[in-house]
Amino acid sequence: ENNDVTPQPLHQAGLGAEQANRFLVEELSAGSASDQTTFTGNFGKQFSFFVELLLPDEKWKKDLVKEQVTQALLKVMKDIFITETDTISLLEIAPAILLRTSPCFVYRERNKQYEEVCRKRISNEKYVDRAMQTLNEASKNKQIQNNLMLMVDAGLHVLFIVKKMKPNNYAETFVESSRSAERMCCFSQTFSLSVISSCSLKDVDAVRTGLNTQSDLELIRLSEKFQYSLLLMERSVLRNSFQCQLASYRQLPLVKPKEVEEGEGRTETSCSPALECLWRFSCELSIGCSVSCMAWNQKNPDLLAVGYGESDSRNQEPGLVCCWSIKNPRWPERIIHCDSAVTTLDFSANSPGQLAVGMCDGSIAVYNVQIHCFPILHIGPVWQLRWNKQELSFTGEEKVEALFSVGADGRICKWFIINGGLDCTDLMKLKRSNNTQRKTGQKPEKMAECGLSALTPGLCFDFHPIDSNIYLTGTWEGNIHKCSCSNSHQFLETYKKHFCPVNWITWCPFHPDVFLSCSSDSTIQLWKQDCPRPLLSFSSNHGEVCEVKWSPRQATVFGAVYNGHLEVWDLNSSFLDPVIVQPAAPGLKMTSFLFASLTDCVLVGDSYGQVTVYQMQNLRVGECRQVQHTNISDKCLNIWGLKGEVRSKLEFKLLKVLYFL
Amino acid sequence: MADVDETLKRIESHKGVIGTILVNGDGIPVRTTLDNSTTSQYARLLRSFTALASSAVRDVDPQNDLTFVRIRSKKHEIMVAPENNNLLIVIQNPCE
Repeated sequence: ENNDVTPQPLHQAGLGAEQANRFLVEELSAGSASDQTTFTGNFGKQFSFFVELLLPDEKWKKDLVKEQVTQALLKVMKDIFITETDTISLLEIAPAILLRTSPCFVYRERNKQYEEVCRKRISNEKYVDRAMQTLNEASKNKQIQNNLMLMVDAGLHVLFIVKKMKPNNYAETFVESSRSAERMCCFSQTFSLSVISSCSLKDVDAVRTGLNTQSDLELIRLSEKFQYSLLLMERSVLRNSFQCQLASYRQLPLVKPKEVEEGEGRTETSCSPALECLWRFSCELSIGCSVSCMAWNQKNPDLLAVGYGESDSRNQEPGLVCCWSIKNPRWPERIIHCDSAVTTLDFSANSPGQLAVGMCDGSIAVYNVQIHCFPILHIGPVWQLRWNKQELSFTGEEKVEALFSVGADGRICKWFIINGGLDCTDLMKLKRSNNTQRKTGQKPEKMAECGLSALTPGLCFDFHPIDSNIYLTGTWEGNIHKCSCSNSHQFLETYKKHFCPVNWITWCPFHPDVFLSCSSDSTIQLWKQDCPRPLLSFSSNHGEVCEVKWSPRQATVFGAVYNGHLEVWDLNSSFLDPVIVQPAAPGLKMTSFLFASLTDCVLVGDSYGQVTVYQMQNLRVGECRQVQHTNISDKCLNIWGLKGEVRSKLEFKLLKVLYFL
Repeated sequence: MADVDETLKRIESHKGVIGTILVNGDGIPVRTTLDNSTTSQYARLLRSFTALASSAVRDVDPQNDLTFVRIRSKKHEIMVAPENNNLLIVIQNPCE
């Protein structure tokens, strides 16, 4: 049939695509749009017009180029008029309105024909299904932003009731997990699957065992064995970090994994004696408190007790005693809080767990360090003076140990344990000497303040290492008295040389007759027992000497600590100068020091609360020289045997020193 | 109790310590500072290892008992302290 209803194209397909955009620019006649056929005719006209315009493109361009060449033309003002075109209607189909009465059968016929065509279309070969391509515009990417989706892991609360299996089955346990802390692991998921798979319902009794991980933790914590394991673990962890320092402390050869062993090489590079810092004992509790005294435990050579407290300050701050172990430089084994500043302490030799602590306010406390530090005996202040400084020592007196103390009130007391308390007897009263040559300027004021008659404060004392009846004591005046425990009224001897308070006195551990004393007049004196004059004097301009101690291993070595530095003397090499001088760190004052008994180490306490462990290097003992034997030296050797690592040649050298004058 | 916590914290904060694990008698980690998978692995492996070490010590001398195990490897050191059936495991890198 010739009734072709395919719509006709709006424009001619022959023209190029770029010109399709332009057909709206020019005016198009709109009036005749109702008639479709004439519409296309108009288009044709217009397009032919376009063609005329657009074909000579090159000409246009040339014209354009020519125009641009002359710059004068550019400056010319050109008026451009922009107007709106008329409305262009592309398609207009006027509706046809028919009344029913009008002869519409024509249209009805047409409709019927159309319907038939549609019906026949399916089976008719004339009509073919064909796909159409719609116009696909260029796709473009667009970015959007979205909130981050938070993923949260939810734990499981799983509680299984597992029925008890027959003995040859294995699955019994399960887990009830809780999500309380992050540290708790959730194992329920992996566990649950395996448990379910092996669970069987044919069992006799249903047993429900509940494992609560929280209660487990509590149980573990409370057990003593766990605390012991913690202690071991902490020590092992620390030992790993401090491996090198501890090895050199114990004088083990250092093994370096990569480099060649430098154990001996070091001594060749630096030949002069020096102190090498190994580590520091310090913890947050002790920082800021000044170290006042240190003492080694008699039985366990790794245990060190350190007392903290400012004994010079007028305000009574609470003191602290820490028992440190070599194996743990980071945290003390025991911590004891005291009421007032600690001035002195000492371990007992008979019962090594007992530590006696003397304090600034005059009280003495004895603590048992093995059990967690409860004071077993505590007495109130006995002395009426407001300030005193004591020194305690345990001596083996007829195999009975007693506690002795000397105080600022001038009394040396011996303490007994009676009925759970300490009671004392006066051993000696330190009377003032009537020597008017002495200028101890403070004496008259002190007497007036004290209100006590003719007693001078005692600052230090030391028992003879062999004859425990004899002791020396140093006083505020600068006198040193040799006393006996059996005679409480008279001094056996008095040694006068110092004119300032004697701070420390110590017998030589290798020679029975020699002792050292140091005082605030910045001198150290070496005395022999029956000589009223000192044998040797070591003086310096560095201020008061706080402590002086003999080395427990080498007979001719002793150390002295000043506020600003530490000196180690070796009488074998020089009388005039110390062998090692170790200055204190800036801003710190050294307050106390101690020799280590088994190794060549020195511990120094300072005003910041740190105890630094130094190792003495290159402290050579020197070659032996020919010296005469004397009877005294023989007696020494017989009485003592060999203490530590004393060699007989050292004894000779010491005698050489003594008979120098 | 507070001492125990303090000591544990001190150990954990010490230089070089990578992590600590506390395992109870059933092999379940009760307290740990490492992530789950590592913790379970360590707990499982070290439990059997410690049992083996303990049985070895006891076989040689029935009155003896295992107190501490240290495994030193190239990268770090694993220390295990067994008590009753619990294990305290600390992993430390000693040289840094």
